[in-house]
Amino acid sequence: MKNKHVIDLLPDYLDHLLDAKQHAEVRQHLEVCKECTEHLKELELLLSAFRKEKMVRPGTTLKTRFDHMLEEEIKRNNKPVYPLNTRWLLPVLKIAAGIVILIGSFALGAYYQNIKSGNTIARLKETGQQYKQTAMLSLIESESASKRIQGIGYIEEFPDPDKKITTALIKRMESDPNTNVRLAAVHALEKFARSEAVKNAFVKALENETDPGVQIAVIHALVRIQEKKAVEPMQRILKQESTPPYVKKQIKALIPAIT
Amino acid sequence: MKEVAGGNLEALRFLFDRHHVYLYNFLYKMCGDEMLSEDLCQDVFYNIVRYRTSYKNGKFVSWMFTIARNSLSSHFRQHRAKNAPLDELPLQVEPPENETSENISQLQLALNQLETSDRELLILNRLHEIKYKELSEIVGSTPGAIKTKVSRALKKLRKIYFQTVQE
Repeated sequence: MKNKHVIDLLPDYLDHLLDAKQHAEVRQHLEVCKECTEHLKELELLLSAFRKEKMVRPGTTLKTRFDHMLEEEIKRNNKPVYPLNTRWLLPVLKIAAGIVILIGSFALGAYYQNIKSGNTIARLKETGQQYKQTAMLSLIESESASKRIQGIGYIEEFPDPDKKITTALIKRMESDPNTNVRLAAVHALEKFARSEAVKNAFVKALENETDPGVQIAVIHALVRIQEKKAVEPMQRILKQESTPPYVKKQIKALIPAIT
Repeated sequence: MKEVAGGNLEALRFLFDRHHVYLYNFLYKMCGDEMLSEDLCQDVFYNIVRYRTSYKNGKFVSWMFTIARNSLSSHFRQHRAKNAPLDELPLQVEPPENETSENISQLQLALNQLETSDRELLILNRLHEIKYKELSEIVGSTPGAIKTKVSRALKKLRKIYFQTVQE
């Protein structure tokens, strides 16, 4: 330490920031080192200059301006602003309202769109149904027997056919020259047996039909719909000599089923 | 200051009375302009009011000088080199006019020749007796580094000071 200058420690030495051991070492060094003592003197002068440095008083306007600012701030603070903990509420509410409006308008638009397209689809279905009906009717009236059968087969497409179709089918059943067409018509009409017109048509067909196959189909249909009006014509057929024996057999077997 | 942060603005009056002279002197030593110092002083207290809720428990003086440093640097950023960092700013004190030069001490003249960062450290440490620990909080450094910097700045100042005295 004796040969080492302590210039760097001098500020702390003067501030009494060194621990006792270091302090003693510096003092020892200073006793023998002229250079460091010179430094210390200068530093003391410099630091005393700091201490002597006068505080400048600011102008009085500074105080006035501060007071003014503080008054303003206090006034602003006393205004009924939203308290700190509910201040977030307003923007949140705004956003929420925005979202509600967005979703609402979207739903409304979707709803109207739905009604509109629903209407269009219904109308399209309706027209499609009409086209089908026309196609079916024209097929039923066709020259070719197979086309007529095909047309009758289209009845599957109409869950709830209108009178025009049932009339056309009845006409086929009663007067079509082809047995197969008549047979197909019987099968098709069976589904709509609830209708009084169809029931009457069956009874009528039972009396007029000459083909045994068609006759049997009609008998089956009548039994299935439990048409009581059919019992009398059936018994009449039984008595007829021209009736084939197997038809009679069918009638005999089935009459008891109609109760 | 806790009271001020809690909403009692009247308490700031007390803090102002107690500290504004020190603050003003710091600013004055740093910029050498009385009017500017007053404006900046006002700015600092305005910011204290404005950002009172962001005050974290610490020494009020440290916080005040932190704000003061920011005000100073933003002022010089606005008025001089726009992109230069604080330490490189040409923050030179304007040469005093003849009539007031008698009021300016040798120490002030010597200080004016130091770099901004050195001058700032010495003013805060020596003139305002702010300890290394608080000083490191103000300028954002470690107490050890601050101690070294202050000691170096003191050496530089001593050189300048005794040169000017001898002249």
